[in-house]
Amino acid sequence: MLVYILKRLGLALLVALAVSIIAFLLLRLSGDPAIAIAGEGAQEADIALIRTTYGFDRPLPVQYVDWLGKSLRGDFGDSIYFKVPAASLIFDKLQTTLLLGFLALAFALAISVPLGVLAAIYRNSWLDRLCLAIAVIGQALPNFFFALLLIMLFSITLRWLPVSGSGSWAHFVMPTIDLGYYAAPAFMRLIRAGMIEVLDADYIRTARAKGLPTSTVVFKHALRNAVVPVVALAAVQLGYLLGGSVVVETIFALDGLGYLAYQSITYKDFPVMQTIVLLLSVIYVVLTLASDIVNAWLDPRIRVA
Amino acid sequence: MTSATASSGTVAASLPAPPGLLRRIWRNKAVIVGFGLLLLILLMAIFAPWLAPHDPYHQDLTNRTVPPFWHDGGTWIHPLGTDPLGRDYLSRLLYGARISLLIGGAVAVISGFIGTTMGMLAGYFGGKTDMVVSFMITTRLSMPVILVALATVALLGGSLWVVIMVLGLLKWDRFAVVMRSATQQVRSLDYVAAAQAAGASTPRVLLGEVLPNVLPHLVVVVTLEAASAILLEAALSFLGLGVQPPLPSWGLMISEAKSYMFFSFWLIAIPGTLLALLIFSINLAGDGLRDLFSPEGRA
Amino acid sequence: MKIESLRRAGLRLAVGSLFTAVALGAGPALASKKDNTIRFAADQAPESVDPFFNNVRIGVILGAQIWDTLIYRDPITNEYKGNLAKSWKQIDDRTIEFELREGVKFHNGEPFDADSVVYTMNFVADSANRVTTQQNVSWIEKAEKLDQYRVRVTTKKVFPAAIEYLSGPVVMHPAKYYAEVGPKGMNAKPVGTGPFKVAAYVPGKSITLERNADYFKDSPKGAAKVDKVEIRFIPDRQTQMAEVLSGGIDLIMHVAKDQAEQAARVPHLQVVSGETMRIVFMQFNTRDDTPTPALKDIRVRKAIAHALDRESIVKNIVGAGSRVLHTQCFPSQFGCTDEGAPRYEYDPAKAKRLLAEAGFPNGFETEIFAYRERNQTEAMINNLQAVGIRAKLTFSQYAAMRDATRSGKSSLTHQTWGSFSVNDVSASTPVYFTFEADDITRDPEVRDLLVKGNNSVDPEVRKQAYREGLARIAENVYSVPMWSLPVFYVASRDLSFSAYPDEMVRFWEMSWK
Repeated sequence: MLVYILKRLGLALLVALAVSIIAFLLLRLSGDPAIAIAGEGAQEADIALIRTTYGFDRPLPVQYVDWLGKSLRGDFGDSIYFKVPAASLIFDKLQTTLLLGFLALAFALAISVPLGVLAAIYRNSWLDRLCLAIAVIGQALPNFFFALLLIMLFSITLRWLPVSGSGSWAHFVMPTIDLGYYAAPAFMRLIRAGMIEVLDADYIRTARAKGLPTSTVVFKHALRNAVVPVVALAAVQLGYLLGGSVVVETIFALDGLGYLAYQSITYKDFPVMQTIVLLLSVIYVVLTLASDIVNAWLDPRIRVA
Repeated sequence: MTSATASSGTVAASLPAPPGLLRRIWRNKAVIVGFGLLLLILLMAIFAPWLAPHDPYHQDLTNRTVPPFWHDGGTWIHPLGTDPLGRDYLSRLLYGARISLLIGGAVAVISGFIGTTMGMLAGYFGGKTDMVVSFMITTRLSMPVILVALATVALLGGSLWVVIMVLGLLKWDRFAVVMRSATQQVRSLDYVAAAQAAGASTPRVLLGEVLPNVLPHLVVVVTLEAASAILLEAALSFLGLGVQPPLPSWGLMISEAKSYMFFSFWLIAIPGTLLALLIFSINLAGDGLRDLFSPEGRA
Repeated sequence: MKIESLRRAGLRLAVGSLFTAVALGAGPALASKKDNTIRFAADQAPESVDPFFNNVRIGVILGAQIWDTLIYRDPITNEYKGNLAKSWKQIDDRTIEFELREGVKFHNGEPFDADSVVYTMNFVADSANRVTTQQNVSWIEKAEKLDQYRVRVTTKKVFPAAIEYLSGPVVMHPAKYYAEVGPKGMNAKPVGTGPFKVAAYVPGKSITLERNADYFKDSPKGAAKVDKVEIRFIPDRQTQMAEVLSGGIDLIMHVAKDQAEQAARVPHLQVVSGETMRIVFMQFNTRDDTPTPALKDIRVRKAIAHALDRESIVKNIVGAGSRVLHTQCFPSQFGCTDEGAPRYEYDPAKAKRLLAEAGFPNGFETEIFAYRERNQTEAMINNLQAVGIRAKLTFSQYAAMRDATRSGKSSLTHQTWGSFSVNDVSASTPVYFTFEADDITRDPEVRDLLVKGNNSVDPEVRKQAYREGLARIAENVYSVPMWSLPVFYVASRDLSFSAYPDEMVRFWEMSWK
């Protein structure tokens, strides 16, 4: 097990490194960062000064190593637009996005587990087909459109929920629904498939034949086994949710990382953009690593692969 | 590589053309409805110039936000009304179908080409090639796609072709993953070994023996990725960082109309529903195809 | 397909009317009224709250709530009244002496006196400190302290508009605090003398003002009536409208004419509109390194002027209270005139002919930058398209667009300028034509004429110089003046407020009915 973890860790570090290189290059694409930092009306002399101060005239690999070094120490540079350190800006908003991500995941699971279980138990019945229909329709609805519909219904018409902002728990309800609904169908199918596989298995049939009540069978045995692949998917989906929150947060003006990312992209605020891409990627890598390890722990066969 | 395979679902090996294919197609409602709807939208797009009552770019400032014919104040001249700049809505919707379909198709082709090549090479050769490709896949999966796409489009400037290139170069991961495992399974089949023994060159083996066998999986992934690309473009255009006005992308139309949605709900309802319908039809078709090609895969 | 759409249509009719009916009938939200707070949405987040380091409208508005100026111009009578200054007199051509008000304190307790005025004015006049709009401060030569409550302000050249500027953009900062923390610190924790102090500020997100209970009684502005003002930066107009419809926000401005008209029919909302001093014009990048070299040819620029159907756009899209302009200034500003300036009537056929003459019979590709009123930009793009000019739109926040234009990256820019509400041509046209950062034309003759207008004592000499300068700009089509902007405010019906032509939102005057 330890060997497996170490191998996975090593791989994760390499991937993180590769991603950091891409994040770094991505923004150098856009042209001269010295001009962006110097700001409007800057003279050639000012720009040249900034170039040497920040070291933009050094070869790219040297700049990269320097940037990496600083980042590891938590120094991500200053936001060009807001003029505060990028790190403080980002870690402020990170909490909101993490909260949103977890809530959305919980919401997705809260709908998909019961639906998946029901669909599996009553497979091929009208209930099963209804669940599948909900799944397919859910995946077809664009999240920005769904967001507008939610706003029309809950804010304008019913006035139950606020339109935008992030002040109270009420501000998180619609964003959670809007972010989470898209992940639900994948979980539902997985649970349904896993449950069916397990329900058909011999030992379950034995348990039922022995007269154990259905609910015990379902919850104690079948669900526990069907959950394994779901955990893996959950970790990966959390990553997608965090990244995909850009659209949701922007529509609801929810003050999180996604919204900050959108603002920094619009304002061409490179230090912030770069840091967010790097941060999210590292989170993905960590989540995937965790998911791999959990999987391996639950299912020893994988360790050998 | 759990992470790489988690999303591929159950991929069962199967022969490409099971007996009674036509009959099974007929009985598989998902494929019928899905492809049927898709065909309808495709026809809409192809025949847009003949079906559209007006030029989708023509602004008529005296006739802004005219409601559809079933409201008071609606008129048959503009059956689905006009948008905030006086452009005929029905015409824009019809031409918008072209954009969505073009994007879905082009991105699927580009990313499909990249991903399939990578996946097949990794699955066929194994060893170092596999290690490299798998590493690339994991790296790509660790990047937040929407953010990277947004940032790149913002840096390069939004336009139809930039969006296609950026999405095409980003969305090859699922192709690579699925093609890799499909190729791995097919690699060990008899006739592949036979072709190799007969001295066929690698490209010939890959194209002649492996590809036809993994084609079913490829087709399924193509549909899913096309749908995903259409959704991504719509989201990018909605945020202002995708296709630029005055192109009638459905996502952009929703974005342009959102300030008016409280008073003219149809302005977002119609393109939104059409988008959903398009994605729905593609997903349905993809699901149906998956069932068709691997009956054991369906629980 | 037809049946599909009919069924869908029927469903949508039902749903749509349900929404509209319920929305129209729903009652107002009472939260704001109960806690005597006004919630306002602004669409551009300022780069800095310090009024000298931003040039967006919300920055100007915050400037007036949090800070005071030496003089205050009454928006209705246009009379100048003493604000932080009790009185003033002109000593000579270039010097004004002020007698300052005693007993005024800044929000952090620091007393206001001559030191504040001297430090602030000398700091902002120094170009090394890079105040964003140099036009507002570059006329100041120095400020000197005579005694604790008397100062003298000297202008570099004769500058009759000085009083205008001292009643608008030139606010007074606390000397000790500003010296200590500088603009960066002032942005992080703003301190002024105004009717409101800053209770909380989250950059890019929101700023909360609370009533300054110690506001000096003799201020012509008057003490605030509400306890708090919460301002949220919401760039999205649809979200702003949604908020105002659902009662989450009490006041929004810059609403498009169409939506304002429809909002007026909603029972719990009121719509107020009026003309403003904001002018809209199309800037051309005619520098040597312009991305669109075609723009260097005057025939191309004339073609563009003829291609834009300004009357139609004004009538249909911009709305009541706006008018077509023929020179780049607002008609009420001293020195603004369109006498002698050529007119370019809407004539697409002529535009095409001119383009063909210039060597572009099939038009050309270019790019247009914009940051607000996107529907107007799109109407312009459409007009250009009709004569063969294909303009791609880049829409962004003001600062990004301004910087891109200043650094020569733009081709066409859909610009607007509010002149900081200063009612003198020196605050508008020269910003773009006297070799400052925003001048991307650089015509020395125009510059000389405008500078003469800025710095002459005799009003007739000023008017003549401005008239010639404006005519020359119009002859060479260095820019296309388009129209003035009305502003539409949408607010909760229970909010009592007035709109003024200087586009200034006076929160200290507002209250709940």
